[in-house]
Amino acid sequence: MIQIAHGLVSRADLPIPEWLFGWAAAMVLVVSFVALAVLWPEPRLERERWRPLPGALGRVLASRPIEILCGAIGVLLLGVVVYAGLRGTQSSTANLAPTFIYVAFWLGLVPLSVVFGDVFKAFNPWRAIGRSVGWVASKAARGDLPAPLSYPERLGHWPATAGVFAFAVMELVVSNGDKPENLAVAALVYSALTFIAMALYGVETWIARGEAFSVYFNLFSRISPFETRDRVVGLRQPLSGLAQLKAGAGTVALLAVMIGSVTFDGASEAPIWTGIAPDIASFFGDLGLSPQRALELTFLLGLTAAILLVYGFYRLGVVGARSVGGGFTAERLARAFVHSLGPIALAYVAAHYFTLLLFQGQAMGYLISDPLGDGSDLFGTADSQIDYSLIGSDATWYWQVGFVVAGHVAALTLAHDRALALYDSAKLGVRSQYWMLAVMVGFTSLALWLLSQANA
Amino acid sequence: MLIAHAGHWLTSVAYFVPVVAFLAWLVITQIKDRRGRSRG
Repeated sequence: MIQIAHGLVSRADLPIPEWLFGWAAAMVLVVSFVALAVLWPEPRLERERWRPLPGALGRVLASRPIEILCGAIGVLLLGVVVYAGLRGTQSSTANLAPTFIYVAFWLGLVPLSVVFGDVFKAFNPWRAIGRSVGWVASKAARGDLPAPLSYPERLGHWPATAGVFAFAVMELVVSNGDKPENLAVAALVYSALTFIAMALYGVETWIARGEAFSVYFNLFSRISPFETRDRVVGLRQPLSGLAQLKAGAGTVALLAVMIGSVTFDGASEAPIWTGIAPDIASFFGDLGLSPQRALELTFLLGLTAAILLVYGFYRLGVVGARSVGGGFTAERLARAFVHSLGPIALAYVAAHYFTLLLFQGQAMGYLISDPLGDGSDLFGTADSQIDYSLIGSDATWYWQVGFVVAGHVAALTLAHDRALALYDSAKLGVRSQYWMLAVMVGFTSLALWLLSQANA
Repeated sequence: MLIAHAGHWLTSVAYFVPVVAFLAWLVITQIKDRRGRSRG
């Protein structure tokens, strides 16, 4: 069942070998690169172009009552998930908490963010509670509350990076990371840390820069054509939100964690990892660790190595881009082009978790009726089942290749647009992008190899 | 052992041929450019 849910079904009917799809994808990137160099002579995504939705729609969607309603729904869902985790059955498949957190929330919000914009900001339970507490406190104090501390620039996106990394560790490393009680406790600990940070630096500042899930989903929402400004929902060019990203300390690391964690999740199913992991675990076992701790440490090493691999490959591209001239430091270039990794992170998530979301997402149908797994049927859907015939293995592969190619072409477009804005000469800008093209081809090959390993 | 499993790892290697080929072309082009600049 799990194998089918992950799309791990052999594909016998493909017209060409899977690896040849990788070559074709690389060719598409090269052709796209040439097309961009010829047909895209000026930066287009750097300009801020935003217009409100027609009529009163934009104002209604971002109005105070809608914001309060969405925030209340977010708080309710957090409460239900924590309650289910603590009081429900401790089966990861029968309890609502694991499927809600790992599938509906972590994966389901990604396509919603890409299509509709920063929806998580509206439903964010920590923001809703923080703002409500701030409002009540200011009423009680009958005046303005003390100003929060100014957010240290050197922190940048590092707290969000640490949060996303911790989530990946919980998901991919911790042996009982899908145990409902552990997830509920983790959610409570994370909530407490978030409230402390919001009290120190202010709700909106922490949400925009430090809160891991807000920063994570906001990055994906920057691909969307929808953006809210001054309480009005409006339209902008797709992808242009990423071009407006203010990269700072930790932004490159954040993207490396986002791509690297998916990379490790895929690679952990590959023979290259399943072959060496027992040896590494046995080495740690010989040092005196219990088998469970030894395995967890092994997976932590693997996850860290995958993130460092992604980070290193991007830095290699930056060093190459710097070598063509222009007088920029490596750090300046790394931050200037890091937004182009956004669509790659999306491509990795979409391709790798496509079937998991499609199949396991259906489990929400019966879990919302029986969140504790105690046999209740709140909405009359407790008997619903997962339909595994929604999509075949060949169609899955084509969708996955499509996600990977589209994501990398979008990344190339963003990098090309930034290069035109950054370099004095268009020729130098294009030459610097040879190296970014190499990075994109590398990430494309890696993505398709990982997908093929999941089906080996 | 290595040869017995060649079919498997060769397929894996095949995925990365485009990036290796592209990087090789890039490095060679850059070296040629530098040589050309130092001569001219």
